[in-house]
Amino acid sequence: MSGIGTGYDLSTTTYSPDGKVFQVDYACKAVDNGGLALGIKCSDGVVLGVEKLLPFKMLVPGSNRRIAPVDRHAGMAGAGLAPDARQIMSRARSECANYKSFYGDKIPSKILADRMANYLHMFTLYWSVRPFGAAVLLAVRDPATGKYELYLLEPSGECQRYHGMAIGKGRQAAKNEVEKLKLGEMSCLEAVKEAARIIVTTHDEKDKDYECELAWICDDSGGEFKKVPKDIADEAIAAAKRALEDDDAMDAD
Amino acid sequence: MIPTRVSHNPIIGPGVVPFGVDPAYDAQYKLNQAPRSHVASHGQGKPFTVEPGPHQRTQYPYVTGTTVLGCKYKDGVMIACDTLCCYGSTKRYKSVERIKKVNSSTIISFTGELSDFHYIVSLLEELDTTDYCEDDGSELAPWEIHSYLCRVMYNRRNKFDPLWNSLVVAGVKHGRTFLGTVGMIGQHYEDSHLAAGFGNHMARPLFREKHTDDMSEEDARKLMEDCLRACLMRDKTMMNKFQIAKVTAGGLEISEPFQVPMNWGYEKFKDPTKHAVGAW
Amino acid sequence: MPHDGSGPTTRANWSPYDNNGGTVLAVAGEDYVVCAADTRMSTGYNILTRDYKKIDQMSDKCVLASAGFMADAVTLKKTLKARCTTYEFQNDKPMGCVSFAQMLSNTLYYRRFFPYYTFNIVAGLDAEGKGAVFTYDAVGSYERTNYSCQGSGQGLIMPVLDNQLKTVSPLVLPAQSSATPLSESEAVDLVKDCFATAGERDIYTGDTVEIWIINKDGVRKEYQELKLD
Repeated sequence: MSGIGTGYDLSTTTYSPDGKVFQVDYACKAVDNGGLALGIKCSDGVVLGVEKLLPFKMLVPGSNRRIAPVDRHAGMAGAGLAPDARQIMSRARSECANYKSFYGDKIPSKILADRMANYLHMFTLYWSVRPFGAAVLLAVRDPATGKYELYLLEPSGECQRYHGMAIGKGRQAAKNEVEKLKLGEMSCLEAVKEAARIIVTTHDEKDKDYECELAWICDDSGGEFKKVPKDIADEAIAAAKRALEDDDAMDAD
Repeated sequence: MIPTRVSHNPIIGPGVVPFGVDPAYDAQYKLNQAPRSHVASHGQGKPFTVEPGPHQRTQYPYVTGTTVLGCKYKDGVMIACDTLCCYGSTKRYKSVERIKKVNSSTIISFTGELSDFHYIVSLLEELDTTDYCEDDGSELAPWEIHSYLCRVMYNRRNKFDPLWNSLVVAGVKHGRTFLGTVGMIGQHYEDSHLAAGFGNHMARPLFREKHTDDMSEEDARKLMEDCLRACLMRDKTMMNKFQIAKVTAGGLEISEPFQVPMNWGYEKFKDPTKHAVGAW
Repeated sequence: MPHDGSGPTTRANWSPYDNNGGTVLAVAGEDYVVCAADTRMSTGYNILTRDYKKIDQMSDKCVLASAGFMADAVTLKKTLKARCTTYEFQNDKPMGCVSFAQMLSNTLYYRRFFPYYTFNIVAGLDAEGKGAVFTYDAVGSYERTNYSCQGSGQGLIMPVLDNQLKTVSPLVLPAQSSATPLSESEAVDLVKDCFATAGERDIYTGDTVEIWIINKDGVRKEYQELKLD
């Protein structure tokens, strides 16, 4: 029993002497190593973006999406192990459908976030399961108030509401960039550009190809969570890449 | 972890759950089937279940809608029905929207039990949300919705627990105009005009006489109103407050309620027995 | 409510079955088979549609024609078609009509306590390329014959077929082919006459007769209008 966890990391039902559940820490590491995911809440909605790393050139563009709606008024962006993130999204869809069939109305943002947090937390309590190696950003339009909200759900079961957040590789730089934005005055249309810029600039050259995925839920999208329309997204990404090239050129001078 | 069951599940299938797929459901079903004592089991009762009494199935409809008519025309398809739902012979709910939009290219309407129709609509909404979550812009086509509903209706009759409706599905997609119906035991067909319920007797002969697939919208609407009037004159559970919905390649539109002009003053209505020797 | 006979039982006022009418027919020849059905779908005195096809192709040389309750027929055909597809993947060849006939029997018999209310005829070419007709009851008992008719027009058509197509007794030795001696076009004409005849008296038979002809060249279809009344 020697090594990193010295036997305290074999199960979530064992604490380490200093009170940690190593399995959860490892799960968070899996998240930190995955591609960047960021969320920006602005005056009229929420924008989610991910830097989807492409390990293989032959991958079909637009496949293996990391951002997806879970109901008409809610969507998620995953960071970390993609299959784990997909499982979380699938559960979120069930929660939404279930709430709708029971109460006949769309699930409120807080309840969805709570239930998903509980779900994730369950996987930190029993020896027979492992925590999810994924964290998700949740963007919702609360059906009662019509307000847009952004949550982060972590493998530990932690759930917090944010104005802006970034997870995964390069999150620190991305968070700094998000903090500089004037979120309260910014529209989603502007935020899409910022999100693209942050993803493009924080992208690590060492990683090979990547795809920038953008989705939003805002007044422009009719209060429904969906992909940012192709023309807007393409333009934002192209502008971000141009800006980056200009910067590089200036640096080289 | 408690498994979450939604009424529509892609693995389990539409509307019903066969045994052996979902142990939690099997247990619940067995419990519902088991004869229960009429003594309330305090503390042991399951939440949200009606306690004593065995499981009962629908024996007859309670609140019902009558005739729905549908026909194709040059640019698409239209369906029509009144806005009334009856409790037995009581005209109980007079402003029911009996035509529902399913997605951007499909509408459905019903005859028979209102609550069963609500259930069917909730199934379709769930299905549509599942589609939406794919976020690829694709939706089920009208004929796919129809096929799905055929399986739902048929599976429920197999459980001897039918959904007490005839449904009419109409839509246009990929340049194909669709008009189909399905009944409470799963019998179904497509046609260029159709009627569910009493309209089968009253309206279809008119359709057969006058309908063509390439008629203009005005002609189709006129014919539809004639058919509605014919039904209205003979069907006591029908009301002079109608809606017509149309689907074309350009989209769908459900009209505001309207009336058809009626005339009960025909000469031969005045002394009906005079012209029917032997009647009383 | 106890269902042991001690008290009144509530009986549902609906039936899980309906008879949607229609007539199906098949005639086997030495190297062809003809299968036909009308396209009317009725319930009671109502004609629901004049264009309901009762014959479906199950594999390359095998078709199934079903009259009776259409929802059952459609379900049955969907199930069988799926099994034929799986069979083809697993065996690298389409299912033969003799195997299909056995499978249909098994499928019907499996549901004998809640039967498919369908009257089926399987028509196809067997391994030797001879015409084959299989005729069923609703719970799966079946036999191979050289002609058969089922559905609402059965009583009108079957005697005609018996008269026109009677073949050599199986007791005659040496054994002789039981296939009808008619040529393909003669058989098609006979089928058309049969349906025109049934359409005169049977209110559940009419509109159009759809005729499938299977021979070594493949599958061909013909249509003939019937009376609409």
